[in-house]
Amino acid sequence: MNAEWTGGPDQLVEAAEQRRDAARRFRDAGLPLLKLWTYYYGIGGDVDELSLDAYLNEALHLPAAQVGLVATAMTELTRDDAG
Amino acid sequence: MTDSQGPPQDPDGLIGAEIESSFEDLVLESRDIRGFLTELAVRAASRLSVPGNTVHSGVTVLRHRRPEAVAASDAAAKALDELQNGFGDGPCLTALRNRATLLVPDLSDEKRWGRYIRTALEHGVYSILAVPLDLAGEADAVLNLYSGRSNGFSAKDISTAEAFARQAGSSLRLILRITQLTEAREDLSAAMQSRTIIDMAIGAIMAQNRCTRDTAFSILTKASSSRNVKLRDLAASVIASISGEDKIPTHFSE
Repeated sequence: MNAEWTGGPDQLVEAAEQRRDAARRFRDAGLPLLKLWTYYYGIGGDVDELSLDAYLNEALHLPAAQVGLVATAMTELTRDDAG
Repeated sequence: MTDSQGPPQDPDGLIGAEIESSFEDLVLESRDIRGFLTELAVRAASRLSVPGNTVHSGVTVLRHRRPEAVAASDAAAKALDELQNGFGDGPCLTALRNRATLLVPDLSDEKRWGRYIRTALEHGVYSILAVPLDLAGEADAVLNLYSGRSNGFSAKDISTAEAFARQAGSSLRLILRITQLTEAREDLSAAMQSRTIIDMAIGAIMAQNRCTRDTAFSILTKASSSRNVKLRDLAASVIASISGEDKIPTHFSE
């Protein structure tokens, strides 16, 4: 997905920050990767489990729409956990 | 397990085999992990209890790195487990972290875990034995045993509890694996149903706004987070507002 990245340098910095934030949230939540991927797939996510793993280890960038869905999946799953 | 004092002489090998086969049955009979662990706690407690020294037992499992009291032989043990998890520290959690059996022979002499020990004493607990269950990295669990007497656990009790934990560990691993597979299957089936609904709503938004799929997703996720409504529920209401259908059948429904 790296090849699809077309934003300028500022957007790249922002995307890296967003990704670091997502990686931290994922670690803090202690969610199993498969659980997150399944949920993300269920709300319309497109990338496979391996790419999601790479993204959450800050080794791959994802298109903005997918980034949004990953964040939504984490928010909804951790809210379920708490409630 | 009928005679709580145990047979008089050595037939230890025999007891081992007996425990093992009954654990196998237990795995097959249990509906879920909680049921299995409750039965485990009850058996451990009844095995170590003797007249005049009733042992209470609980099992704490570490899930998502957070301790969670999941099962106990009785309400007293459950309360004690939860108390310790609430403090975030105590003999059982220490045993869990060190993966080693830990005995507190007399709580009134114990200097560690100050607040927890004081509260446990108030609950009438005088000795604690914590035995971790080896789950080969799949999860972490500890068998917590509480006695109302100081020195409530003899050397023989400790080795009995350790043998019990060893055999329970392999059965627990099996049941954890079965449960994880079942959960994964249920999650996937829920995901397929949810994805169908969301894909339909995305298509509707694309048609209404003459926009791309990515834009439609961004509209839907923004609305979902600003209203604090789940994406799936919002998608269902989008479809309902267009077609009046509030039940979308999917091929994945069971």
